[in-house]
Amino acid sequence: MRGQFLRYLLGRAAAAFALVFLVSSGALLLAQLAPGDYASEFGRDPASIAADRHRLGLDRPFAEQYGRWLKRSVTLDLGESFYYRRPVTALVRERAANTALLAVVALLLATALGVPGGILTGSTRGPAVSLVRGTSVALLSVPPLITSLLLLTLAARTGWLPVGGIGNPSPDASWIARLIVSARHLVIPALALALPLAATIERLQSQALREAMNRPSTMAARARGLPRSRIVGRHAWRLSLGPLLAIYGILIGSLFSGSFAVELVTSWPGLGDLMRQALMARDTHLVAGCAAAGALFLAIGVFAADVAHGALDPRVAGSRS
Amino acid sequence: MTIRQRGALVIAITLFAAAGLASWVAPYDPGRQFPDHPFAPPMLPHVIDSSGHLRAPFVYPLHLVDPLERRYEEDRTRRIPLRWFGSSLARVDGSDPWFPIGSDGLGRDVLSRVTLGARLSLGVAAAATALALLLGISVGAAAGYAGGWIDATLMRAADGVLVLPAIYVVLALRGALPLVLTTTQVFVTMVAVLGVVGWPAVARGVRGIFVTERREEYAEAARALGAGPLRIALVHLLPAARGFLGVQLTILVPAFVLAEATISFAGLGFAAPTPSWGAMLQDAASARAASDAPWLLAPAAAIIVTVLVLHMASGRWASGLWTDASLTD
Amino acid sequence: MARAFRRSAFLVAALTILGAIWWFAVHRPRTPGPGQATATAPVSGGTLVVSVRSEPASYNRHVAPSAAVDAMSQLTQGKLVRINRVTGEVEPWLAERWTASPDGRTFTLTLRKGITFSDGAPFTSADVLFSFEALYDPSVDSVIASGVKVQGKPLQVTAPDAGTVVVTLPAPFAPGIQLLDNVWIFPRHQLQAALSAHTFRDAWGLKTPPGSMAGLGPFVISEHVPGQRITLTRNPRYWRRDAAGTQLPYLDRVVFEIVPTQDAEVLRLEAGSIDVMTQADLRAEDYASLKRLRDQGALNLLDVGVGVDPNVLWFNLAPPRAHRVPPYVARAEFRQAISYAVNRDAIVTSVYLGAAVPVFGPITPGNRVWYSNAVPTTPFDPARARTILASIGLTDRTGDGMLDDPNGSPVRFSIITQRGNVRERTATVIQEQLRQVGITVDVASLDPQSIFQRWSAGDYDSIYFGFQASALDPANNLDFWLSSGSTHVWNPNRTQPATPWEKTIDDLMQRQVAAPTLEERQRLFAEVQKVFAQELPAIYFVAPRIAIATSRRVGGVQPALLEPKVLWNADSLYVTSPSR
Repeated sequence: MRGQFLRYLLGRAAAAFALVFLVSSGALLLAQLAPGDYASEFGRDPASIAADRHRLGLDRPFAEQYGRWLKRSVTLDLGESFYYRRPVTALVRERAANTALLAVVALLLATALGVPGGILTGSTRGPAVSLVRGTSVALLSVPPLITSLLLLTLAARTGWLPVGGIGNPSPDASWIARLIVSARHLVIPALALALPLAATIERLQSQALREAMNRPSTMAARARGLPRSRIVGRHAWRLSLGPLLAIYGILIGSLFSGSFAVELVTSWPGLGDLMRQALMARDTHLVAGCAAAGALFLAIGVFAADVAHGALDPRVAGSRS
Repeated sequence: MTIRQRGALVIAITLFAAAGLASWVAPYDPGRQFPDHPFAPPMLPHVIDSSGHLRAPFVYPLHLVDPLERRYEEDRTRRIPLRWFGSSLARVDGSDPWFPIGSDGLGRDVLSRVTLGARLSLGVAAAATALALLLGISVGAAAGYAGGWIDATLMRAADGVLVLPAIYVVLALRGALPLVLTTTQVFVTMVAVLGVVGWPAVARGVRGIFVTERREEYAEAARALGAGPLRIALVHLLPAARGFLGVQLTILVPAFVLAEATISFAGLGFAAPTPSWGAMLQDAASARAASDAPWLLAPAAAIIVTVLVLHMASGRWASGLWTDASLTD
Repeated sequence: MARAFRRSAFLVAALTILGAIWWFAVHRPRTPGPGQATATAPVSGGTLVVSVRSEPASYNRHVAPSAAVDAMSQLTQGKLVRINRVTGEVEPWLAERWTASPDGRTFTLTLRKGITFSDGAPFTSADVLFSFEALYDPSVDSVIASGVKVQGKPLQVTAPDAGTVVVTLPAPFAPGIQLLDNVWIFPRHQLQAALSAHTFRDAWGLKTPPGSMAGLGPFVISEHVPGQRITLTRNPRYWRRDAAGTQLPYLDRVVFEIVPTQDAEVLRLEAGSIDVMTQADLRAEDYASLKRLRDQGALNLLDVGVGVDPNVLWFNLAPPRAHRVPPYVARAEFRQAISYAVNRDAIVTSVYLGAAVPVFGPITPGNRVWYSNAVPTTPFDPARARTILASIGLTDRTGDGMLDDPNGSPVRFSIITQRGNVRERTATVIQEQLRQVGITVDVASLDPQSIFQRWSAGDYDSIYFGFQASALDPANNLDFWLSSGSTHVWNPNRTQPATPWEKTIDDLMQRQVAAPTLEERQRLFAEVQKVFAQELPAIYFVAPRIAIATSRRVGGVQPALLEPKVLWNADSLYVTSPSR
């Protein structure tokens, strides 16, 4: 059993590496195909643009550029950003830390809102159910860009919360003061991310729970006269986790890669915003680096979700697919 | 059919009819600009005029007092009667415009743009959802049922598609396409891009369901009776995923309508002045709609209504296996 | 049924209540923030918070041309002379006086005595020589070098002694000493080694420790938190004093907050968490809420005048064989007709909400010295447009209301513009206006890199875009006017003028650049504008009125029409309330 799990773990790790590698290569290739490159800019003298291209190695054939990148990536050196002229790994690491903070808070918030909401709408009836369902639908229909702007406008007009940014605690502040500053700046971006996510989770959880309530095993428990809350909590809920966790892995992955719309509007210096900048500027090494980070997070997220599924769902525990 | 289902059906039919008859419902051509009426507020019809008499529904013309402050004034000295069921459902004659729910930044009627944008936006979203579901079900079913290395490979492929920067794909694609695209070309390309971007989530969920369901007794029974894998997958196991697919429908459709706007940032969008809900919402974000011109968020309301209807309509279909009515609603 | 109704009613009621709460929260009148004083005497001390839209790529002005880097340079570096952005006068700066030779080509500048860099090292003419050397060095490939050359040739600079610098222009050039406004003086003692080793481009990059860069400006960079903010503190060794003898700058600190979108910047301005934006132009749609705040006493709104860098629609006048442009685009009459056919007031009212003026050429009324109202304009006249179009064979042959060319195919061309921008909205209005005279226009909205790609490949019919002006004097913008220029957008980088009228403009501009008096230069340049208005390779429609908003606590603001609109005189800005 232990050996089997270890083999499984190694297999997933290898797959993760392969994914990261393929995605970065794909990003580099796509960058080559997209029109324009980093040096393209209006108002510059063509000789100067050509000199820049030469300096950055952009005038070499793609195979050569890719080969050079490949060689460096083996030592985990993903090159330098054209714009910042700093190593890609350093930039990605800084931004990923910020995004990770936001992602964790948003995920917790979304789960805390979505799962109970879904359990409520999946197992009961009443006006509360319509309210929750209606809210979910509304949240799914509004783009995160607008949600962020709405929240920012509210913050700006009322002054209750800071208008974006990540906070600037004074250097000699106590850790409690720092915590408060961080928390205040986290509210808006975390809400903007968590609300649509909570809606998705609620919808999925609700549907899955309703189906689980109708399974023979659950019916049997009802027939035995167990109280409703126990049925839902002990029996039905664990059966409903399959589809939810399958999507959870993806959600975790995309959260940690950063949502560029929310980060852009709330000026949260995260990975999503870095990726957007790099894409628009055709900063190819940085794009590849961000894509690699995103692939890594997705692999980890999916893996964590699969492990959780295996542990919690009695039907899957004991066998690995 | 329950009352709710009947209600949903009626609303769905009305929406379809409205979409089909959109050009008759809309008072104006969606590209028609009234340069002297940017960000005009909704002009609601009145029935009682300034002297207290009851009249057929009419509107007062709007006059722009201060363009920078977006202040309008109703000109109460003139009445413009509404004409019904003529060349369009409701319209006005003369040169003064009527904006039932307001105008956008270029003086274009929002109602016209929302109704005429419905066809394209919902069309793209529906087709893309169908494509994503088709691809996702195929891949997810194959992975979930077969297991082993097929499962692993397909799921890693799904992950790869998820993480690849879609914007770059669109940029590269746009660079390769000719500069001027017809609406049909944009439609097809968008559906393809969205469908390809959307299938991994579906595949993951379907695969998860198949993995658990294939060990259930009814699947074993079918196998014992000699059913081939395809038959088992489609006839026996797929219905278990109906609930999940129904929910995915209500998640994917609005997501695709909104994603259409993000794609248009990379250059692949419906050319002006063709309206689309996603692009209208994107423009509303920058026009400070929330505080100063809330009628610009009408497409969001339209999306909400659409998804609610979809949800109600799909709810009963998705619950096919249920027998206990007291647990459902 | 009743239950369903009840539930829906519940939902609707709940949403309405939420909406009402939202509405009232957002439209509450604001209590005015701190700093109520309007015109007071400058006070020393305090922090100014500025927003900037992109993070600087480097502290080295020679390699990074963004607005953020330029603002940093304005605050941390010094130059020999300064052009006052408001009056246009050349002011002595690091050079306290200068004399010009009779032919106007040699300037002898006397440097101020006793000036030191922020790290205490003395400032001498050797630093000036070094700065010019770095500017023109090919391994540096500076982005600002082309702005300090005359006819592509560098200036000759010598230093007879530690306090004197002699600058010689390679050819007669009317702006003369104004060129020195573009030359930042770098510390020789810190950067000579890098220049000699040909690694100057890597010097002063983002990895440089903030406190270690010496400069002659009012501030020094003290902290850089990547992705978030850059903090500058007062340079105690700054040489300048105000009229009362107080040591400048007034401010203790300037904090640049990196805020990527203008929506967020404006919201922060409204909330009072920033004092001013670096790229300070307000969009028309923000004006309404900012005006409300101004009336409540929470903000200052300043009207600066008509902008000097309007957006422009230019046509592809030299398409490569691979891209076929409709033949009528090459006719000046076609472009004239377009200019007559577009109702500029429609653009003013709908896209700019009235905060713009119609313009008909690259020089707007905001450029007071060089604007000429003797230049013919094309007022809105669709009938005249149709007549002109008919005169080149474009009439409605099929009876569908749209014009056709002599072969019977519809008159149709494409405009490439920038997605999600005021340019896209203007292009949409132009499209609608031209439809009304019978011309079909396809608007393709792309991102800037793709636009550049198509432009440099010649793969376009017309492009609607805009360029930031760096100078008001056309002699500093020869890249646009001369046919050999890189921003001669309709047909760039020609060795020979492609048409007789471009040759005329080339000759007039060369004469204008060397002409002895301002009146003569203005006369010649008016002729250039007339030729331009006749041929219209590029059409201008509107120029926005520039308005700037600052918080109430900021004083000493002298808004200008050139970037950086507020920070150009950062050493004279002050704040009237306690620091943040």
